Amino acid sequence: MNTFILLLGPPLVGALMAAVVRPYRSIVGWTNALLSLVSLGAAVSLWRHILAGDVLTSGPREFLRADALSTLLALCVSAVGALAAWLGPGMGGDDGYDGAQARRFRIFGNLFTFTMLFAVTSNNVGFMWIAIEATTITSAMLIPLHVTKASVEASWKYILIGSIGIALAFAGTVLGYFDFVNLAGRQEDALNWTVLMAAAPHLHAPVIQLAFVFILIGYGTKAGLAPMHTWLPDAHSEAPAPLSAMMSGVLLAVALYAVIRWEAVANAAVGTGFTDGLFIVLGVLSIVIAAFSLVVQQNYKRMLAYSSIEHTGLMCVGLALGPLGTFAAMLHLLNHTVAKSMMFFLAGRVLHRYRTTEIGGVSGLLRTMPWTGGLFAAGMLAVVGLPPFGLFISEFALFRAGFAAGRPWLMGLVLALLPLAFVSMIGRLNRMLYGAPAAGIAVGEGSAWPLIPLGLCVTALVVLGLTLPAPLQTLLERIVEIAGR
Amino acid sequence: MIGYALEVAQAALALFLAPGVVGLVRWMKARLQNRRGAPVWQPYWELAKLFQKEVVVSNNASWLFRATPFVVFASAVTVTFFVPILAVPLPFDGVGDLLVVVYLLLLGTFFLSLAGLDPGSPFGGMGASREMTVAALAEPTLALAIFALALSAGSTNLGQIVARTMSDPGSALSPGHLLAFLALFIVTLAETGRLPIDNPATHLELTMIHEAMVLEYSGRYLALIEWAAAVKLLIFFSLLGNLFVPVGVSMALTPATLAIAVVSLLAKFVVLAAAVAILETRIAKLRLFRVPELLSVSFVLALLAVTSSFLLR
Amino acid sequence: MDSVFSQLCVLGSSLVLIFGLILLWRRGVTAYVTAFKWQSIVLSAVTGIVAYYGDDHELYWVAGALVVLKVLVIPRLLRRMQRRFAAERELEPYVNTATSLVIAGLLVLFGYAITRPLVALSQLPTRAGMPLAMGLVLVSLFVVISRKKALTQVVGFLMLENGIALLAVLGTYGIPLIVELGVFLDVLMGFLVMQIFIYQIHETFESIDVEQLNRLRH
Repeated sequence: MNTFILLLGPPLVGALMAAVVRPYRSIVGWTNALLSLVSLGAAVSLWRHILAGDVLTSGPREFLRADALSTLLALCVSAVGALAAWLGPGMGGDDGYDGAQARRFRIFGNLFTFTMLFAVTSNNVGFMWIAIEATTITSAMLIPLHVTKASVEASWKYILIGSIGIALAFAGTVLGYFDFVNLAGRQEDALNWTVLMAAAPHLHAPVIQLAFVFILIGYGTKAGLAPMHTWLPDAHSEAPAPLSAMMSGVLLAVALYAVIRWEAVANAAVGTGFTDGLFIVLGVLSIVIAAFSLVVQQNYKRMLAYSSIEHTGLMCVGLALGPLGTFAAMLHLLNHTVAKSMMFFLAGRVLHRYRTTEIGGVSGLLRTMPWTGGLFAAGMLAVVGLPPFGLFISEFALFRAGFAAGRPWLMGLVLALLPLAFVSMIGRLNRMLYGAPAAGIAVGEGSAWPLIPLGLCVTALVVLGLTLPAPLQTLLERIVEIAGR
Repeated sequence: MIGYALEVAQAALALFLAPGVVGLVRWMKARLQNRRGAPVWQPYWELAKLFQKEVVVSNNASWLFRATPFVVFASAVTVTFFVPILAVPLPFDGVGDLLVVVYLLLLGTFFLSLAGLDPGSPFGGMGASREMTVAALAEPTLALAIFALALSAGSTNLGQIVARTMSDPGSALSPGHLLAFLALFIVTLAETGRLPIDNPATHLELTMIHEAMVLEYSGRYLALIEWAAAVKLLIFFSLLGNLFVPVGVSMALTPATLAIAVVSLLAKFVVLAAAVAILETRIAKLRLFRVPELLSVSFVLALLAVTSSFLLR
Repeated sequence: MDSVFSQLCVLGSSLVLIFGLILLWRRGVTAYVTAFKWQSIVLSAVTGIVAYYGDDHELYWVAGALVVLKVLVIPRLLRRMQRRFAAERELEPYVNTATSLVIAGLLVLFGYAITRPLVALSQLPTRAGMPLAMGLVLVSLFVVISRKKALTQVVGFLMLENGIALLAVLGTYGIPLIVELGVFLDVLMGFLVMQIFIYQIHETFESIDVEQLNRLRH
């Protein structure tokens, strides 16, 4: 019980503080930052419980539950939430945001973190749905932090497409509930995932299949799977950097978490063939669209957003490749979260200095901000999947799983598409790093201490690229069991 | 034997009553507009007058122009043999069902459109093309709406549909029936050239559809066409009344039940005429490019009626 | 008794769907708001009927919440927006009216097809209305895709929620109350945020035509 309060409480307290303190003072930001570490600590404590073999539950009718899958996501969310709290607006100093914007960020950013944490620790799929809908609302409030035509357009597309996707996911939830009710009658905890899993082998195939299709389309919209991805490049590129980091890093992962929960139910009901097929179709479509879109990108934030779509597609394909594939997909989720959030924070620093998101407008990054440029380069290499970073290992594991699962043609197709992304992104990286900076761009790092946590991220990626720590391996193996492989 | 005689009597009654129904609608409209209006039997005098007038035919007209009035009149009268106006079942039920009725009505429309084109006048061509636009959407809707009823009755035979509804009164309130009624009502307005689709009293180029096609006709030809249009209105009113609310339709062919049938038929005509008159007074004519939209709505309603009936069988 | 219940539910569901079709037929936002209000009234009525015949008192609360939220609060807010943007009528949607209506008919047929396993499985007397609810869901999706005004898209989204709520009521006599309340709250919040954005769109672009939102490509 305490662990859950320590996990979910700090963001709520942070939001409340920011709402109450007017005008905004940086003490709010610092308190928020310290509280976020409490959340992170609680998530680590959950990890320890999982390693010891027990699954924490709490609340009336056990509506809170933290198994291995929840723990992995809770770790990701609280880590990125902590990063955002430390590196976000309102910590004092010149970061380009005024007091009102900083206050807005602290309120809605914390609520956003809270809803994501609640979504991943909720046992009740109805509450999970409510939480994910709430993430759409809270994040949409933050996208137009700077009101411009582009950001208004991006936020409208986000809220409209996101809400519709979530509504479809709700239809899928209702259908799943319908199936269960026809089997076992109405019960108060019928929407608990544990109860659904117990009843799953007896659920009726056509209904649960229809339900899963709605779920995949609905939550897949939030995860950025094609063809429902059209809101993603706009929203992630127009949002302020800390929000983009949270959205690209963890919101996509949380949406994928919801899909995996229902995938477990569907697999227990109708076997893995059905979900595999759907995952492969949507995953490959996402990778194709993202890879080809990356070729024409002129905006580095949009480039990172399309890369997120590509990686989500990879994870989706991984989920379809049996237990090895699911393991690889979850490892990839962790790596991608670390890498992508770091990249968006760095992009925020570049934007603050160069005042443009056009790739053509940024040059000589290594000369103007050597440390930022260096970390940016490392992150980019990580994101395209080069060693010695973690994403290389997870992608390699994915391909190995694919060949072991007997899908060589599929792996060949994906292998052919990845270099496309690689070449586009590395080419643009070069353009940004080298060359002469434009006149009027100040040289020097400015406030350098945010680079420390970002440097820690790179270190984490390298560590994950060189070894797989045993606690992490245990955690991922438990997740594979949960997903029904 | 009695059945055949009854059929002929039914057709004769339809022919006799038809101009009266048109007159009734006109009279009610006039009263609603605070005018005294012509008496209800005015159309009879008009028909009589037209039969005595001289026929003037354009030099460019062909045999089609002269043949059309007879084809249209014949098709309308033939349909009255198949539609359940007074009693079910009738001997000709074996020959004619829903599809025959629809095609006969379409035959009349088709010939009228050709006759509009035949003399080469611009109004005729314009009317013909507008009429085809309306018919293209109205005819499938007509078929679908009655088909929705046929699904629950298990046969496309109109008499059987009526018999089925009479034996199961609760089904008259089923969603399939209600939706089909709405769709059929809109089709009635379209096929008989009433507001808001077409104004039967206008001769303005901007607004006329049916009148444009018959603009070149005169004398007895015009009389036949006007009479056929009136019979068409009566047929649609009978369909609306007897298919959906078959109260009073005679099952046994005794004089008592037939008398009741005639009285209930007249009552239904009065109600429907009132509905049409009120609608015509309240609603303005739709602009021509909006007419397909209204007809699409009725098409979708008919489609919903069919699927409703199909699922609730 | 059961068959009256069944007929009433199917009648209510048909009305709900027909009000949804109005979004494809009429052009003015006033008509859309009225259609949504009446659709929500009928939906609340159906919920009340299911509560009465199904002996489920929780559903009375749900029906009440529906009335408060979707018949009183949201239409009032929509009317306020509509008075502000009254001049904007849906004159040139991406798909014209007649074609839209025919496509809507086909979508309803498709809805029937995909809900066949549901109707076959369910034992409830309300199951006959489920295909109509699914049809409304699909038609609302089509409305959002094919219309150009932001207000129309919002009303389409609200009707989508109505369709899913109807599906829940007919299929399972409603979902657990606490989840239902959370859903209502979410819908209200979502609508309020959309409202904020429509005002922002109007301020920034001088119109609520979403075709103007085309700066972000590729």
